[in-house]
Amino acid sequence: MGSEINTLHSGSLKALRLPSSAADLMRQRQSLKTELLKQANLIPTRIAILGGSTTAEVKGMLELFLLAQGIQPSFYESGYNRYSEDVLFGNPDLWNFKPDVVFIHTTWRNISQFPEVMESETAVEQDVQREMARFESLWEKIHLEMGALIIQNNFDLPHLRPLGNLEASESFSRVNFLQRLNAEFAKYARSHSRFLINDIHYLSAQVGLNAWYGRTYWYNFHMALSPTATVPLAQNVAAIVKSVYGKSKKCLVLDLDNTLWGGVIGDDGVQNLILGRDHPVGEAFLDFQRYVKDLQRRGVILAVCSKNEIENAKEGFSHPDSILKVEDFSAFKVNWNPKPESIREIASELNIGLDSLVFVDDNPAERALVADQLPEVAVPDVGADVSRFAEALEREHYFEVDKVVQDDLNRSAYYNANGQRSSYQSGFRDYDEFLASLEMTAEIASFSSVYLERITQLINKTNQFNLTTKRYTSAEVESISRDPGFITLYGRLADRFGDNGLVSVMIGRVADDTVELDLWLMSCRVLDREMEFAMFDALVEQCQARGIGKIVGVYIPSKKNKMVARHYAGLDFTRLNETSGDRQLWHYDVPQAYSMRTRFICRAAQTLPTTASD
Amino acid sequence: MDQNRKPMTREKFLAQMDEILGLRPGTLKGHEKLEDLKNWDSTALISLIVMAEDNNSVPIAPDQVVGCSTVADLLRLAQVDVSPS
Repeated sequence: MGSEINTLHSGSLKALRLPSSAADLMRQRQSLKTELLKQANLIPTRIAILGGSTTAEVKGMLELFLLAQGIQPSFYESGYNRYSEDVLFGNPDLWNFKPDVVFIHTTWRNISQFPEVMESETAVEQDVQREMARFESLWEKIHLEMGALIIQNNFDLPHLRPLGNLEASESFSRVNFLQRLNAEFAKYARSHSRFLINDIHYLSAQVGLNAWYGRTYWYNFHMALSPTATVPLAQNVAAIVKSVYGKSKKCLVLDLDNTLWGGVIGDDGVQNLILGRDHPVGEAFLDFQRYVKDLQRRGVILAVCSKNEIENAKEGFSHPDSILKVEDFSAFKVNWNPKPESIREIASELNIGLDSLVFVDDNPAERALVADQLPEVAVPDVGADVSRFAEALEREHYFEVDKVVQDDLNRSAYYNANGQRSSYQSGFRDYDEFLASLEMTAEIASFSSVYLERITQLINKTNQFNLTTKRYTSAEVESISRDPGFITLYGRLADRFGDNGLVSVMIGRVADDTVELDLWLMSCRVLDREMEFAMFDALVEQCQARGIGKIVGVYIPSKKNKMVARHYAGLDFTRLNETSGDRQLWHYDVPQAYSMRTRFICRAAQTLPTTASD
Repeated sequence: MDQNRKPMTREKFLAQMDEILGLRPGTLKGHEKLEDLKNWDSTALISLIVMAEDNNSVPIAPDQVVGCSTVADLLRLAQVDVSPS
């Protein structure tokens, strides 16, 4: 595979590109690592690599790809083929390492026993279950005793076929056995939230089995994968880790002419656009539209950024073969302004950071301008051939998610409803009248297991309305949700235009009669709706119920959270002189008689002083 | 050996080895002991093998690297062309 690698888009490092070949990447590894470590605000994470083969090469590549995502890993590596023993016999080095993530790098070579030729289907199934039980015992122990997220390779196929084409049909074949096991792994993944598959079955097919496997490297170093294959493997694992830390992109911003259809709508008219099955290039545009629509269906927000007349732009989507329709887009910036300006407006309108956007345009000059002026925006080099656009997006793993949750699927609807809210707002005398008319209802309660995924997702991706920008792994959130030493609150908000989903999270650490707020965040999609008042009311209720008299608010300034610099002052907290590093501390005495601050939000569920385990 | 494969020049070999080991360009001269090089490990060795493949150069046989103790030994193993480039 021409291992074409990520482009970095982070501030001063924007000019640094990871090389496009495995050889270049390996040669430049040391200097790239040095450059990548200069990035600010790297997120630390501890990764244990448990290998069924040697893993030094995997570790080196994974480190680069994680650093390129703003994640700084420290590693534990098992000895060669000690993946199972380290866990089952409780290697203290592994336990003391306290991994956030355990990556089990096994391949078909780690199957303990393949079926015998002519073995009955029943016996083969027993073999599958025996092998599955062996792996499950590892996973269960890791989950139970370490609480770490598990990333487990499924199985690649051997490059040799002793049974020839019968490998594809006989139940006792190695191919059938591995496919059955992969199905069992997938089933396990569907029912365990802290378990993700690294799909090397797909990767090895994409790379090609002959390139995936390298004789020299296996016989000399016991590397199950060739160095060439190690690159996409590491890139894939890094994408999974990135998604867990909520660093995936949210919005795809698209040009129109020669990006979503062939031709220039303003000049050619809708009837002459190249789009549809009757033209080879038209079919490629149609397939790209279908890919974009599939992204939107799984929760990626779509936006248009085009230099055009708005009537012409909208007319393009009325083409009978167009899969995308105007209503699929949550923001529609069609004007003659410079594109960086329009993209800034899109981010502002959607209340998301520029670093959540990916911009696709066939015009290299427009791409270069946006990449230069908005370095936070990801601008893949898609080229000018529409048949390669989707591949360019896939290659970068921009929209990788660890789980598709309902809130993701509803995301486009939220943003489309936001547009309706904005136009609705203009008809009111004042803002209070508007808020009252929204008929808002909030559900605020202690963390519940059903929402832990979404809570972790919000914690790891919210930057603006986030008082401390503290990040937590799923294991930490789960643990806190069960710990009576914490007050936890989540908030959902609905209004007459629809359900905004879970939009606010609070974590407070209780000590004696004081609760210190380690975390308070809110999605910007509900800014200026007084949801923060509703959350504070709920917190005060919790404090009163638990006999807590003091609330300490913590504010840790970051580049992105200036909007909440005066948040605690607005809630009548008093600034304390004591600070620790960048931490500002604010103090609030919980009164016995407290007047609710919420004026326009009706609370749908009572906040209970319980934890998720209750 | 593949007849199309040509040995790398000494300058290119040393320059790429500098890069693999994270050294400033021009650091390695050829006489250095491998055990004295900070980043010389199995990962660097694999990078060296890949480097030779990528340059369509004489392959470096991993089992013979065991007998190398200096950079000069590696140069000999890769049949590096020491004639002026």
